[in-house]
Amino acid sequence: MIRWLRPFVFPALLLVALEIWARTVGAGSDAVAPPSAALRAFAAALVDGSLLAATAFTLGSAALGLLVGGGLGVALGTLLGLSPRASRLGFVSVELLRPVPSVALIPLAMLVFGFGLRMEISVVAFACLWPMAMLTQAAAQQVEPRLLEVARALQMNAWQRFAWIVGPAMVPRLFVALRLGVAIALVVAVTVEIAANPNGMGYAMMIAQQGLDPALMLAWLLWIGVVGFAINAAATWVQQRVARRMGEGRP
Amino acid sequence: MTECVLEFDRVAIHLGGREILSPTSVRVERGEFVCIIGPSGCGKTTLLRAAAGFVAPSSGQVTRRGQPITGPSREVAFVFQDYGRALLPWRTVARNVALALEAARVPAAEQSAHIERVLATVGLGAHAHKFPAQLSGGMQQRVQIARCLAQAPELMMMDEPFGALDAMTRESLQDELARLVREQGLTVLFVTHDLEEAIYLGDRVLALRANPTPEQPSLAALIEVPLPKPRSQLATKEHPEFLRLRRELYQYLGH
Repeated sequence: MIRWLRPFVFPALLLVALEIWARTVGAGSDAVAPPSAALRAFAAALVDGSLLAATAFTLGSAALGLLVGGGLGVALGTLLGLSPRASRLGFVSVELLRPVPSVALIPLAMLVFGFGLRMEISVVAFACLWPMAMLTQAAAQQVEPRLLEVARALQMNAWQRFAWIVGPAMVPRLFVALRLGVAIALVVAVTVEIAANPNGMGYAMMIAQQGLDPALMLAWLLWIGVVGFAINAAATWVQQRVARRMGEGRP
Repeated sequence: MTECVLEFDRVAIHLGGREILSPTSVRVERGEFVCIIGPSGCGKTTLLRAAAGFVAPSSGQVTRRGQPITGPSREVAFVFQDYGRALLPWRTVARNVALALEAARVPAAEQSAHIERVLATVGLGAHAHKFPAQLSGGMQQRVQIARCLAQAPELMMMDEPFGALDAMTRESLQDELARLVREQGLTVLFVTHDLEEAIYLGDRVLALRANPTPEQPSLAALIEVPLPKPRSQLATKEHPEFLRLRRELYQYLGH
């Protein structure tokens, strides 16, 4: 029990320090509120339903954007990784599009889709697509060459080679890509909301800031941190379950 | 009557502009166990890979039952030295063996009986549901051999299969392989750098030479092993004929 609590000692101390500081030196500040006030603001947002609605919007658009961008990224990366010809043909296009900062697409996305879900999904999808495509391409290219010889020795056709050898061999690296994609999706979704889209957690935090309500702003900030932590933990858990099913980490 | 299964007809192989193997002609009969020895870089693995269809000879040709080899075939099983990389780490032992049956389109209903029999043959009956990472090196190599047996191959190519194993495991796997060959009438091409292993297992030993020249071609010697079978690790290795062959072949290992 004590051992399990140990990692929480430092964050708790930090919160206590912030509480004391905000009530003494920083009293009356427009930027910092004591965590106890943030907790009250959090409870109020929870009760009036705005917390749930904003969280659902942000997570929903991050998930849909990840689905679209990740799906396209894995498909594109697999194609680029397995076909040297596709890789040669697509090289310049990919290298031109990949370095475009995803938030630089916000004005274009706003013109095309207006405010709302579709605009946010498109920017998240663009942001997730390239890193996931690159990692997938590497995964497809780094299949153990000996296994490809086993496929040759057994006279597998292209489909069998992919279904039995290349595909499963890519899975561990695809999970690395997925975890990266999850992190990017959440960051970009909140960024889009702060910068443009009048929805979700990022927008709610902006409104709290502009309404000179540091307690509510702090509440959103901490909540976004908690949500990010929970999502990453869930992705790690799924990754470990799949890895175990695929024979890793057994004694 | 003997029947020629595999024939190398003046097979030569160049890699990177260098002649690895000068023209070599050898015939392998059905049921024969031919060991290939030679120093590193003499082209023994390359010769085996050409026979399996993984590489095409630069000149000459390899024929199997009279047909030129154009690529790998399921009728030829290949046991790689690095068993750890040749097994699918995400499949259990039984499913690794199943891979050969799936590729041969054996109906799913018949697979489990096949797998059980093959695993029992290599002594892995109790480990069917383990993953490769849970097995020792010797057991992993048994899994690869089981997968090759599941192919019901006409020919078995083995590329230093026991080279990475400790001496004890190697000897027990040698005896098991000899038993399998005896029981199932396998034809085996076996590459090794271990002279005693070659004499102990082989019906014939083919010695290759590194850096061949027109005067000194790759094929240094092709020697019959008239030792009685079944062989035993103690008696056979103390047999005067074994010692004589060992002395005769010793020079071809680059000494």
